[in-house]
Amino acid sequence: MTGNYKTWPMILLLGIITVPLVLMYVYLFVDTVTNSAPGSLVPNEITGEHWRFLWQTLPGRPSIWTATFNTFLFATVTTLIVLSVSSTAGYALSRLNVPFRAFFLAGVMVLHAFPTVTLIIAIFLILQFLGMYNTLIGVILVKASLELPFGIWIMKGFYDTVPWEIEMAGIQDGASRFTVWHKLVLPQVMPAISALGIFSFLAGWSEFILPLVLAPDNKVQVLSVYLAALIADDNNFDMALFKSVGVFYVLPVIVLFLFFQKRLMSIYGGGTKG
Amino acid sequence: MRILLKNFGKSFGAVNVIENLNLEIHDGEMLALLGPSGCGKSTTLFAVCGIHKVTAGQILFGDRDVTHVPSQQRNVGVVFQNYALYPHLSIAENIGFPLKIRKESAAEIKRKVHEMADLVQIGALLDRRPAELSGGQQQRVALARALIRRPDVLLLDEPLANLDAKLRLEMRSEIRRIQQETGITAILVTHDQVEAMSMCDRIAIMKQGQIVQIAAPMEMYDNPVSDFVAGFLGNPPIAFVDGALTGSVFESSGIRIELPSAAQRNGGPVKLGIRPENFQPEFPQKVSGEVTFVESQGRETLYDVRLDDGQILRSIQGHAVRAGVGERVSWGISPDNILIFDEKGARL
Amino acid sequence: MNGSKSLGLMLLTPAIVFVLLFFVAPVILTAVFALTNMSTATGITGGAYQVTQSSLRKLAESYGQAELANTLAETRYTVNEEGLEAIAADGADARLVAEMRAKLGGRSFEKRRDLESAIKTLNSRPRNTRALKALSDTFHRSIVNERFESADAMLRATTNLGVALSADQKSALADATYTGWVWTTQNFTRMIALPDTQRTLINTFIYVFATLAIFNTGFALVLSIATHYMPARPAGIFRAIWLLPRISPPVLYVLLWKWLAWDTGFLSNFLANFGVAPRNWLLDNPTNAWIFIVLINGFVGASMGMLIFSSAIKAIPGSLFHASEVDGASRWQQIRYIILPQLRWPILFITCYQSLSLLTSFEYILLATEGGPGGATEVWALKTYLTALNNYAGNLEYGYGAALALVLVVVGVVLSLAYLKVFDFKTMVRPPRIEQ
Repeated sequence: MTGNYKTWPMILLLGIITVPLVLMYVYLFVDTVTNSAPGSLVPNEITGEHWRFLWQTLPGRPSIWTATFNTFLFATVTTLIVLSVSSTAGYALSRLNVPFRAFFLAGVMVLHAFPTVTLIIAIFLILQFLGMYNTLIGVILVKASLELPFGIWIMKGFYDTVPWEIEMAGIQDGASRFTVWHKLVLPQVMPAISALGIFSFLAGWSEFILPLVLAPDNKVQVLSVYLAALIADDNNFDMALFKSVGVFYVLPVIVLFLFFQKRLMSIYGGGTKG
Repeated sequence: MRILLKNFGKSFGAVNVIENLNLEIHDGEMLALLGPSGCGKSTTLFAVCGIHKVTAGQILFGDRDVTHVPSQQRNVGVVFQNYALYPHLSIAENIGFPLKIRKESAAEIKRKVHEMADLVQIGALLDRRPAELSGGQQQRVALARALIRRPDVLLLDEPLANLDAKLRLEMRSEIRRIQQETGITAILVTHDQVEAMSMCDRIAIMKQGQIVQIAAPMEMYDNPVSDFVAGFLGNPPIAFVDGALTGSVFESSGIRIELPSAAQRNGGPVKLGIRPENFQPEFPQKVSGEVTFVESQGRETLYDVRLDDGQILRSIQGHAVRAGVGERVSWGISPDNILIFDEKGARL
Repeated sequence: MNGSKSLGLMLLTPAIVFVLLFFVAPVILTAVFALTNMSTATGITGGAYQVTQSSLRKLAESYGQAELANTLAETRYTVNEEGLEAIAADGADARLVAEMRAKLGGRSFEKRRDLESAIKTLNSRPRNTRALKALSDTFHRSIVNERFESADAMLRATTNLGVALSADQKSALADATYTGWVWTTQNFTRMIALPDTQRTLINTFIYVFATLAIFNTGFALVLSIATHYMPARPAGIFRAIWLLPRISPPVLYVLLWKWLAWDTGFLSNFLANFGVAPRNWLLDNPTNAWIFIVLINGFVGASMGMLIFSSAIKAIPGSLFHASEVDGASRWQQIRYIILPQLRWPILFITCYQSLSLLTSFEYILLATEGGPGGATEVWALKTYLTALNNYAGNLEYGYGAALALVLVVVGVVLSLAYLKVFDFKTMVRPPRIEQ
């Protein structure tokens, strides 16, 4: 930002392009608590009826609370697996004399860029073989695995920034490599771990294709599949209801985003999928 | 404790950094490893503390062969250039960490931490975090942490490089005081000759993986074995003049100096090393030239004098400025203090 | 635990297990499945043996065993021990049973009438026609529409019918009636032959290049440069707004676009004021569908470029900007000569990375148009998904889907290896500085 150029043309330019996006999100919230006359875009009454799914189960669907619990379980367990596995593997690849280290690093890098959805047919059949089709644990293991290369990559990058001297000092002070990792290095990468944790949680919370294919059953349904099924049902078209479920679904995401915006930006900028 | 490196060698892949190096550090001595960057001094230090594996030779602490002993069991204290304090631990926890690893009792750790903190004079800072301390204070903490478990040897890797000029002066004497109070054997790695000369009992000067000379600081200053050593020690640096020696007379186009020393050679090309303090108006062997540069340093003034053949002599003199740029002067050289080197740089 | 080798392996093991199970195994299995005709009909475990009208036709046509097929297709009447015991249990005369065993035992008849006339010649034959009919029916034998767990069971049943088979006939019959999956290369010949494939390929290229060029790099550049020339607050707000599509779950995000584009949605309502008839802008014609597909994906994709380009611009020393302003550079010149040259590598990175992820992503298209209208927006990855995991016909073709996926897997591996080459791998594998 420099002082010699006018700012307003830039703000105006971006502002115009941003209008549709803002409209979509503003109406997302407005429409959930109001009604408008058909053909009109201006709300004419305030109502709570669109939120009825919270206390009554919609026909043919599981209870929203079952789906919410499943989603929470799915996102949380996935996150825990990703964090524990990538914080150990990332350290080994960053700092230890592991045999075939270059090979593993290349592998992680290739997998990190590798399009995981292409594997879904094989994974679907593997879960069928293992008898884990239509179970939460099956889809959790799959989601965690597919997130791992990214997690390991990010953690390795963060471990790389910890000064070597801290580890050298630890070793001189008589600590084993394990103690050095867990007592001295791990505390230095806590910001990375929390960023990766929030990221994984959001990724799990938002995941659609994997649960759709691997665990579509009502009992194990997550919110994304719930909402998609609701929208796809041509017999019960109710945009305001869809949006209300949508807001219910996206609220935790927005809250996390507002609280951890800086950290998330650093990790989204660090080379994620998309 | 006496430290001995026997035929020590270190290579990284195909690159030999150090070959066949022999070095003895006496018990209670503070020795400087001095040299330009890339000379292998840090590599030697890392081998002594066990961070690098030794490719050839032996390292002995006293009579104990530690060549293949892991760092954790060597009992070496290290102070790193950037101090390497643990950012998430308090100062007390930092200093006490080596004892905690050894599972000493909390009371014992507390007692020793206070003792150490008093030694390095940071008793009031024990509850703070490293980030809240100044560079000099961090340096003291690093020293305390390195010394708390009574190591056999203390290694200091460019400990003053990250400090500003004033703190550097203060810490120079502090480190020396603490080393002498504890009587610990210490190795100081540095590229700064002032540090090496002011802090250490002996200096080992290194070049391209070899030790060029080991001697006490003043001995090395007065009797360097080569032009490299002579050029490395002394600030402002020594000036060299190329010429030829016939009998006891040195001649180059424009200067003629009679040398009293026994080192005589007929007609060979030689290089004279003349330190700035040995080129003064009152000295006997007059040489004339033109002043090309004057730098006033406050207490002293530094002059560059260009001889008639274009070679430069340097002179440092007391406060009063005696000549301006462009002036012709005829100053003298003290013949007893002239250093003579052959064309390869070896001392004659 | 001082050895960094053993500690390293220990710390790596969980990751290796996960990667083997859900990356390496799927890649290999995708290749394996691509060489089979697995589908919902064949099942994924072993199949059974079933003599159906279609398998008999196959036996006649593909194996040249028309005669055998006819024989098996016929309803037959065979007097065997099983039938004799059945009539005895039904309370038939013991003399009749004994006589049938002695005179007719083991004989086969093509028609019921033949069996009936044979029974009529017996001394202890039933007197009334109805009893005779019931008696004959008990000897009715056929394997048509029966299901056998193994080839042996089926062949035994065939022998029971009184049909003797040669070795050739046995193997032909077993092959023709097998309902499980078999090895085949037909998936690939089919993929090349279908005109559909070419269209999908073109769709994929349109999708990747349009999205990448217009949004993921183009608009991302606009965003990062525009926010660079703003005070911190508005810049932060714009960045946060443009990160929303990325943060929002895809299902919800696409719902917002549907609200915008559907016939009861915002666009239709808004344009009604100008006399435009309401319609579903998302699906009314291929052009509009494509515009929305690119917009939907582009709004998500722009944010990553925006963040990476912004941090690259931030890394340019401020003195460079000040100096150029003192030199009288216009804003455009500053962008052209200072900012853009610094962004060469980030742009290459985004292009490499996102072309790969766009190539294989189908989530947003699936949610928005499901490939419609009429397959106009069906890209390769979506076609793979629809073929193998979700289609209207109900027969999920895992084998063909895996063959389609294999193409993407190969492209993915090649591109990610290339990606490895482009980005400095050497500095990444610098050896650890502690050598124990």
